Formats: sequence, C-alpha cells, structure tokens
Amino acid sequence: MEIIHRFFAIENKRWVFGSVIFAIILLAPVIILIINFFSGTTDTLLYLLDNLLFDYTLNTLYLILITSITALFLGIIPAWIISNYTFFGRNFFDIVLYLPLAIPSYIMGFTYIDILSYTGPIQSFFREKSPFFAEIINRDYLQVEILGILLGLALYPYIYTASRISFSLIGSNYINISRNLGLSKIQTFFKVILPLSRPAIFSGLFLVIMEVLNEYGAVKYFGVNTFTIGIFRSWNSFGDVNGAIQLACILLLVVLCFFAIDRFSMRKSKFYYQKNTQLNKVKGLGGSRALMVILICSIPFLFGFLIPFSFILNNTIESFAITNFDKLFRLTNNTIYVSSLSSIIIIFIALFFLFVERISNSKINSYVSSLISLGYALPGAIIGLGVILLFSNSSLLGTFYVLIFAYLIRFLAVAKSPIKSSIDKHPITIDDTGRNLGLNPLNLLRRLHLPINKFALISAFVVTFIDVMKELPITLILSPFNFDTLATQTYQFAIEEMIPLSAIYSLVIITLGSLMLLILRSFIDKQINVS
Amino acid sequence: MYLEVKNLVKFFDSKYPIIKDLSFSVKKGELISFLGESGSGKTTFLKCISGLEKINSGTITLNSKYLNKNNIFVKPQERKIGFVFQDYPLFPHLNLEENITFNLEKKYYSKLEYILKLTGLKYFLKRFPHELSGGEQQRACIARALIREPELLLLDEPFSNLDSTIKESMKEEIFKIVKETNTTTILVTHDINDAMNISDKILIFKAGILQQYDNPVKMYCEPANCYCAEILGDMNKLFIGNETYYVRPENIKHVNKKSNYKVSVEKCFFQGKEYRIKGRFDNEIWHFFSKKPISEKKHVYVDFAKKDLIYFDPVCKNFFK
Repeated sequence: MEIIHRFFAIENKRWVFGSVIFAIILLAPVIILIINFFSGTTDTLLYLLDNLLFDYTLNTLYLILITSITALFLGIIPAWIISNYTFFGRNFFDIVLYLPLAIPSYIMGFTYIDILSYTGPIQSFFREKSPFFAEIINRDYLQVEILGILLGLALYPYIYTASRISFSLIGSNYINISRNLGLSKIQTFFKVILPLSRPAIFSGLFLVIMEVLNEYGAVKYFGVNTFTIGIFRSWNSFGDVNGAIQLACILLLVVLCFFAIDRFSMRKSKFYYQKNTQLNKVKGLGGSRALMVILICSIPFLFGFLIPFSFILNNTIESFAITNFDKLFRLTNNTIYVSSLSSIIIIFIALFFLFVERISNSKINSYVSSLISLGYALPGAIIGLGVILLFSNSSLLGTFYVLIFAYLIRFLAVAKSPIKSSIDKHPITIDDTGRNLGLNPLNLLRRLHLPINKFALISAFVVTFIDVMKELPITLILSPFNFDTLATQTYQFAIEEMIPLSAIYSLVIITLGSLMLLILRSFIDKQINVS
Repeated sequence: MYLEVKNLVKFFDSKYPIIKDLSFSVKKGELISFLGESGSGKTTFLKCISGLEKINSGTITLNSKYLNKNNIFVKPQERKIGFVFQDYPLFPHLNLEENITFNLEKKYYSKLEYILKLTGLKYFLKRFPHELSGGEQQRACIARALIREPELLLLDEPFSNLDSTIKESMKEEIFKIVKETNTTTILVTHDINDAMNISDKILIFKAGILQQYDNPVKMYCEPANCYCAEILGDMNKLFIGNETYYVRPENIKHVNKKSNYKVSVEKCFFQGKEYRIKGRFDNEIWHFFSKKPISEKKHVYVDFAKKDLIYFDPVCKNFFK
C-alpha cells in the first residue's frame, strides 16, 4: 500500500517511467551476461580458477599499481606547481599538460616500443656513438613495468585535471590557517592540501584504473595477460564463449570492488569548502627555482606528448609516399561520422536522464542515474560481449545501431559529468520559476535547460567524441563488416609490426583529439567567465 | 474571500508533518506576511500554494476557483500565481527584457513599459543578470511576476539577500508596487520588522500550526500566546500572586517616586533617541527605555499601567520550547 502511495506521489511519472525503461535497456547486456554466467557450465570456470585466473589477477593488479603510481606523480606535482606559482611558461603548460589525453594509450605503447627498439632512433644513435652503451640498452622493453609507465604517461591527465581544479578551489584560507598554526609549506601540502583534495584525486585515479582495466591494444602488444586479454583470447582464439562470459563476470566483480572502494572513500571524505574561501594567489618564481619547476612540468608534457607526437610526425613524413590517402580519408570520415553521431546521441540521452533526475522528487532516478553511470567502469570487452549476447538472435548485430548502443553504455557517464556539474550550478528555483511561468516539463527542457547548459553540452560532446574516437575493444568487437576506423587501422598495422605505416592514422587521431581538447579548454574558460 | 486555505496538511514523512493543519483567508489586494523561523516550512507553504509541491490534504481556493481539492490539482503552469524566489533566479542566458517577457502571452506585452517604469528598470533592458545588482535582479523578478497580472503574488524572503541600506527602500518600493497594482500578496519572512512595516495582516506560523493571524497592531498589543508575543518584541516577566504576567519594554516608565518595582540596572545602551536599559527585577531580566542614561549598579523605580499587563497560560512557555 505504501509503495502504491509512493508511486502516485512521484511527480512527472511519465518521464520517470520512461527513464527507468531506458535504463533497463542500457543495463540489459550486463544483466544478460550475469544470467549466462549462472547458466553456464562450471568446467570452464574451474579450469580458469586452476590455471589462468591467478595469473590474470596478478598481472592486472600489478599493471594498475605501476600505472597509478606513475600517473599520481605526473599528475599531482605539476598540478600543485601550476595552481600555486607563476613562472615563465605557466599558461603554456596549463594547456599542454592535458594533451596526452589525445593520444590513445595503445598508440603511446606502440610508439615508445618503436622508439626503444633495436632499429629505433635511440639504439641506432648509440650503436654509432657508443657501442658499449648500445649493448647495455639493447633489451627487451616489452615488459609489464614499461607498459605501466607508458600507460601512466597516457593517463596522468585524469589526475592532473582533478587535482588542478581541487588545488585551485581550496583557496588561501586553509593554507593561511595551517601556516599560522605552525606548519611549513611542505607540511601544509601533506597535512591539509592533499587530504582536502583526496576525493578529487581519488576520482581521477578511479578513471585511470578503469582505463587500465579496459586497455586492450597496448596490453596485447606487450603480451601482458590481463583480464581483457583473457576475454578476447577465450573468445577469439579458443572459441570458448562460456569462458569469456565467466571471465567477463569476474572482471565485472573486480570493477564493482573498485567502484565500491571509490564510493566508500568519497563518502568518507566528502568535504564542503566554504563558498567565501578566497582563491589562492599564485606566487611568482624566478631564477633556479623557476628552472626547476619548468623542468618538472616539462617531463609529463615531453614524454607524454611531444616525444611520441614528434616521432609519429617523423614516421608520417617518411612514409608519406606510400600512404594510401583514399583509405586515410575514408577512415577519417568513418571515425568522424561514428564519433559525432554517437556523441550527439549520447549527450542528449545523458541530458534526458539528468533532467528527469532533477524534475522528479523520487529517489528512483538517483539510483537509475548511478546505475547507468557504472557503464564507464565496464571495460569495452564486457560491454561488447554483453551486447553480442543480447543481439545474438537479431539481425541488428553487425550494424551501426549496435555499435552506437555499446558506445552509449560505455560513455554515458563521460557525457553526464560536465552536464551534471552545469545543471547543479543552477538553483532549483530556476526550474520552479520556469514552471511558475507556465512551462511544462518538455518546454522546461527545451526552453531552459538546453540553452542554459549549452556550453556544458558542447563540452560533453567534445569529451565523448575524443573517447569514442580512441575506443578500441568495442569498435573491434562490434563494428560492422568492412567498417574500419582510425583506431582499428592503427591497431591492425601495429599488431602486424608495421608501425611506420600506422603513423599517419595515429597522427590524425592525435591531431583531432588535440584540436578538440583545445576547443574544450576554450569552452571551459567561457563557462567559468559566464558563471 | 479571495484566497481561502482550509485544513492544509503537508508532509514529506507522515511522522513529521511540516504543515499540520493550516486555515486562513485573504481579501483581494491585501498584503499579508507569513512569519516563521528558518526551517519552519514557510517556503514549502508557498510552493504548496503555487502548485510546485503537492499537498497531502486540504483545499486551496483562489478567486473562487479550486486549486487543490480532493482530486483537483491545478498544475503550477496553469495557476495565475506569481512567485518571486529568495535567490532571484533570473535565467542567465537571457537579458532583462527577455527574462521579463519569458513565456509571456501577447496580451501582456503592452504592460511592459508600465511595469518597467514602476520597477525602475527602464534603462537596464539589454543587460544580462550578472550585469545587474542584487536590488535590480530582485525588481526584475518582481516585474516578471507582475507583468502577467497574477491573481496572487508570492514573495519568498525578498529582502534576505539585500544589505540594510537598500533593504528599506526595496520594502517601500514593493509596498508601492503591489498596492498600485492591487495585487494580493503573501510575503514570507523571518524578520519581524519586514512584516510590521508593510503588512495588512501577519500570520505567525510555528510547529506546523497557525498561531495567530491578525493586523500588526492587534498582534503586537494582544498576542495570542507567548510565542507570538516574543516573536514580535521583548517581554518582561513578572509574578503577581501565583500568576505569571508580561509587560512590553515600551510600556514601562522610569519614575522618580517609590513604586512596587525596583530594578537593579546592569547595562545602559545608547540608541540615539533614547537609552535602552537592561536590569534585573525579582531575578528576571527586564528591558525598558529612558530619556537619560542611568549608571550601572544603580537602583531605579519603574511603573506601568495595569492594562498593559499580558497574561498567558503557564504551560504556553514550555509548550513552544
């Protein structure tokens, strides 16, 4: 009776009902995967437990550890320096430190292995100049530790972005108080700034971990047996769908554990800064200290962007004559088409869910919203497998619709994030005023939320576009027959040891991604100026 | 009656109702103040009236039409009620003119000039909300509400975000505007001065129940209970026989001859026109006014007319605590 009473008390029932149905559709692949896990035989599971699971778990966790440590160092230190000091090149670094996000981690891996290889520029140089040293550096670089560092270089911007915002928002009051209470600058950083920024850093780290779990191209190239590799191997090499499902479900469990840890840590350390906290005034640095901070900020940019980008550019120039430009244009066109279309669909669906959450007085929608956000934590291999199982008896499999549906599951949370922060900035009285002035929910969405959140929608489009463009596992699993993108082509060339040929495709991905990031940056500035 | 609220009940959790049973009525063109402490449910009440919150039971009638009654629920967008929110929510993507004319029926466009003149916003039409001061934003919200000739205007703490210098002038302006347009208005506030200065009637709300609903003078002189008495101004407590009485500070006079009330002075506050004296009588803190300063620790005699004594039931004081 109470449930019925509560149902009738829900406002805008049609919208709430629609969003719940939509959420169930989005969660269907994961539900199907879990159902199949319980209905499958236990033989494969026992085999996995006895032979492979320990290896997969250890490798995955070890890779996460190295990547996380690298990303934390490369993300937090420059963020702190840029938030607190002015020095020559500060604005430049503040822009370019985001750029490694434009380089997919598999391209980072392929490129560095090529740079470090026997025929690469470093070993060739030393063979000529110092054969003894050349002998020392002639090693097998396809090691999990190297992969971890390279993934750290590609993924540190997640931590840099989160820390940079947090350090800027903390403001000077807390710093002044702690200095007044006798703490040195370093003590203030470790005892006040870092604990206050923990939620932000944790959320950045969570994204890094999820990206490592999702990684396929680079781990495959390095021969590191992680869960994702296991899923692909069971499925493609051994034709063991049941094994793939069971591995995917175990990976899902691992993801849920990380998700729970993230939520738990966020809940325990959710800080509310006082609104009137003054922003920290950046201090000027000169002389040797300025040189030192420039050096520190240069490291992530140099190794995370400039070196791989220059090397790819060089390879592109060298292989220019043998480049198939027709194919390049076709694949660029395919990539832009599929990324744009998916991103547009994804941002409008994200806006729909957030809008329903805002206009309904029911808790259902906040649960729905959290559940569908889980998609970002699900590796592409799990989503791909779940979608195939869902559409296995349908003619839709192998079409764009299914590919876009999978992107939607995976990247809805990416699009939601900027839209949610924009919507939350506007007081609820904006909606109340709209309704009071005669708007129904649809008009409220069309005439108020679309225009007042337009910068956020553009930001959401840009971040989703970059992520879809870089996405490899889902595209490999679900793209229609004879449909390649820049990402899949880069991967195919690299896996066939034809890295110079993949250069131009990588270059287009990086250039598109960098341009998008620069556009995003200008929109973020605009948003800040408007608010 | 123009607005009639009968037995209104509102709760989010049935164990803790916000409005337990509220009934009152308002005449056309009246400005009433809804007075209550922060968190007492004043904004929820306004949202119930405007339809932004659904009520759990009771009826609301405006201009002889039911807005809420049993299965009748008029949607917020269909009620002719203007709502000015506490935080002046102007749409950030629209300029002042677009904000005022937002979703406006064509028939009201001819009133734009009159409303702009009335609210003094004629020269800010093309400005965006962030280019307006707090007072201008507030007037813009009032203009937006008034241009559509609402049957009822709801003002939610309209002065709380203003500094004291413009607060007084805004009060006068709002009073002038609503009286000139003969708009029935409910002003929600926690500030007694706001309510006393401009209201035709005051409604005091506490613990989900209407405590008193009357004109400001009667309310001040004849409070229904000690909560209403205290919310409207200081009270001095005294015991006569076994009964507890109260007397307002302004009814106490400093006398030169001996009286029954000898007060030991503790503090003397200069207030411009006169001095406010804080003293102790019969172990109770008393306040009264004096034309001249009185030294601390001095004993003085005070007196008052018997008709100024206010009596409440002894349980009243504890009930509200």
